[in-house]
Order: sequence, then C-alpha cells, then structure tokens
Amino acid sequence: MRAVRSTARGIVRDAAVAAVGLSLLGVAVNAARPGGIPLVATEEYEVFVPCPEPLGEVEGIPPSDPRVGDPRTFLVDARDARAFGRWHAPGARNIPFDYLEGVPDEVVRRVASSGAAQVVVYGDGEDPDSGRELGRELAGRGVRNVFYVEGGFRALEAR
Amino acid sequence: MTRILPWVLLPMRLYLGAVFLLACWHKVLDPGAFALDVATYQVLPLSLVNLVAVTLPWVEMGAGLMLVAGLRARAGALLCAAMMVVFLAALVSALARGLDMSCGCFASQTAEEDPISSLTVLRDLAWLGLALAIVFLDRRPLGLDAWFARRRNAP
Repeated sequence: MRAVRSTARGIVRDAAVAAVGLSLLGVAVNAARPGGIPLVATEEYEVFVPCPEPLGEVEGIPPSDPRVGDPRTFLVDARDARAFGRWHAPGARNIPFDYLEGVPDEVVRRVASSGAAQVVVYGDGEDPDSGRELGRELAGRGVRNVFYVEGGFRALEAR
Repeated sequence: MTRILPWVLLPMRLYLGAVFLLACWHKVLDPGAFALDVATYQVLPLSLVNLVAVTLPWVEMGAGLMLVAGLRARAGALLCAAMMVVFLAALVSALARGLDMSCGCFASQTAEEDPISSLTVLRDLAWLGLALAIVFLDRRPLGLDAWFARRRNAP
C-alpha cells in the first residue's frame, strides 16, 4: 500500500469541486424528473410545530363534587363561545380552549389572581377532553388547585 | 501506529459513508418532503428552502460514495464535516427555540418517533469527530485512491 498524500489545498479544492458538481447534478435531476420541485418556493410551507406549552397534572372530579358549586371556586367553561352561549353552568366563565393556540398570558394572570380557592374546568367531555387539557395548561403555567369535571358539560347538564 | 492507523480509519470511513448514504436516499427520492423538513427548522429564507432540498441530498450521496469507495476520501470527509457543522447549528437553534420536531435526518421519522434532543446533538458531534479524524489522519486511504496510486507508480 502506497501512501496517497494530499495537500490541504487539494483536499479543499476537491471538496469544493465535488460540492458544486453534485449540486448541479441535483438541480439537473430535479429539472428532468416528473416530481421535481421549483427551485424557489413561491408559497410559505405550512409548518406545524406545536409550541411546547408547559403542562401540569390535574385531578378529575365528578360533577356532583361540592367544589363545582362552591362560591370560592373559579369555574371555567373551556368550550367555544357559541357552545357557552347555548348552555353553561351557573357562575362559569368562558375561556375557550384551542389545541393550537396557548391561553393568553393575561387570561392566565386573571385566573391566578382571582383569589379563588380552586379552579374547576369543564369542557366538551370528548376524548381528549378540552376541559382537562385547559386544566393541564393552567396548572402547567402556575395556577394552583386546578380540577376538571369528568364527563365535561354533558355530565354537569345532566346533574 | 502508522501501520495500524489505516486499518482503524477504514471502518470509521465506511461507517460514516454508510450513514450519509442511508441519510440521503429518501431526500433524493422525495425532495418535496425534504423541503418541508428544511422549512420546519425555520432558519432559512423561503427562497433558499427548495434549493437546499434539491442540492443537499446529492452532496450527501457524493460524500458518502467518496468515503465508501475511498475516492478523494479526505475531501469527502471534509464535505461531511462541513455538513455536520451546518446540521448541528440548525439543530441547536431548533432546540434553543423549543421546537418539537424530528431532525429529518433519516426516512420515516416523525417528531413522536425521533424527536430532536441533546442526544441528537451528541450523535452529530460524534459524526463530526469521525469526519474530522478522517480529514486529518487518513494519510493512507484504502480504496480507489490507493489503487490509482499503485497503478501510477507501478514499474
């Protein structure tokens, strides 16, 4: 085996030549292939990367739990405004939960500074339940004593 | 040591070449999907996303072939090292912004299957180290370069 010596300049030159040549090959193949893409994108890519909301753990409580109707409870309806308008538990305030958008900071501050003994959230009762998800987000962002109503609004309505 | 070194570097070179060949094929086959992976990092302007998606996989393929075949292997390793530096910068940037995503390095990976993490950074650092070792230490490459040299110097 004989040594093959390359100077640093030669290595860089070879690498540059290879990079340019291979890039041109890529452009040529892309132009020739049926599924080629335009070299310059004209529309923004719809990138879905969920922002990491801190999530806490919340305890589920039955709709008959006395904490639901406790006057010291900050009761939250996590459904959208239209569903809230159709029916909501007495005293509930509407904080619509969105799986993509986090709860605005001012809303979290309002809940945290309400002076309530506990926060009880109910949602659509689906799987996943928007009430539980909103409760987890509130708990993850520093709100204490957060609970969610198992079964969501239907369980409360049927109570 | 100088006698052993080529035999130590050979499996490293073949391994790194195989990694790059494995990483490039799905990008070569589906540049549209790779463009989406590139866009997900949110570090390049839109005007450069597709150009990178079209050209980078071929540079990966070429560098991988150069390493496996031992043809201008140190230049191939230099290309790998340069790409690893770029990948690491994008990776660290994505981690710093808390993006929940896959690195898009290999086929069929989603954020759930293979999310980026500090382990991904360590893995890429290890590959960068391998590439640099080949660039600086691979004085007696086995492969096509050695074969061509033997033919040139044959009496």
